[in-house]
Amino acid sequence: MTNPLTTFEGAVIGREVCQGHIVVTQDDIDSFCRLMGYDDPAYRAGAAGGAVAPTSMCLTYGLRLGWEEDVFPPGAIRMGDENVYGVAARAGDALTTTLTIVDRFERKGRRFLKYEMTTTNGAGETVCTVAFTAIVP
Amino acid sequence: MTPSDPLPPNEITITQEMIDEYARISGDFNPLHVDVEAAARTPFGGTIAHGCIPMEPIFKVVQRIIGKPVMPAGSRMSLRYLQPSRPGDTIRLELRDDGNDAAAADLVFACVNQRGDKVIEGRCTLG
Repeated sequence: MTNPLTTFEGAVIGREVCQGHIVVTQDDIDSFCRLMGYDDPAYRAGAAGGAVAPTSMCLTYGLRLGWEEDVFPPGAIRMGDENVYGVAARAGDALTTTLTIVDRFERKGRRFLKYEMTTTNGAGETVCTVAFTAIVP
Repeated sequence: MTPSDPLPPNEITITQEMIDEYARISGDFNPLHVDVEAAARTPFGGTIAHGCIPMEPIFKVVQRIIGKPVMPAGSRMSLRYLQPSRPGDTIRLELRDDGNDAAAADLVFACVNQRGDKVIEGRCTLG
């Protein structure tokens, strides 16, 4: 069931909706690299300084939080992104992602919500901020 | 990157298996992506890929151009999804440098399917 505070009518703009925690594992990185065809040694176990996750993998953290916390309504259609990439995530990093609804508007009879997910590492450094606008039912 | 530099070739062919695995990794099991029967009853007429999948070529190409495995910190990307991408589609990247500052490349990109339809367009400013 969709969280009522995340519906078009109930969303509180600018208030944090939820927070999630995830530890990046080498298995996660390996799975993502296999799926998308990344083969740089920097992604592999044993890389100097620790394996890094491909930047595009950080897009999944906010998505996962939004779906697991029932923030995104089924049938939501993503229309556009505004993303900022920070320090790389590494295997073993404990990441925290916060999700906020930052805008709400109607256009041509359709209703839109803009979600912003910011992921930080254990040192408080920003890994990525992913903001996307979606048509919501 | 200068206009004379060749763009590293990159494209991605989307399959339902890829979409299903991306759903597992991201937790995004929106029926539009993973429920073939339900998606067939929507105006899309079938499943569509998560928006992040046809975006992949931009990351790969930029990272190859700069010779790093990740985007530089502070890089920004803004984009619009113009059309859905579907299983069977092959998405290739069109990219040009729109900036005057070599230290902060401003790249305009489009992801185009095998029919020549632009599915994503956007801009990437490297940090």
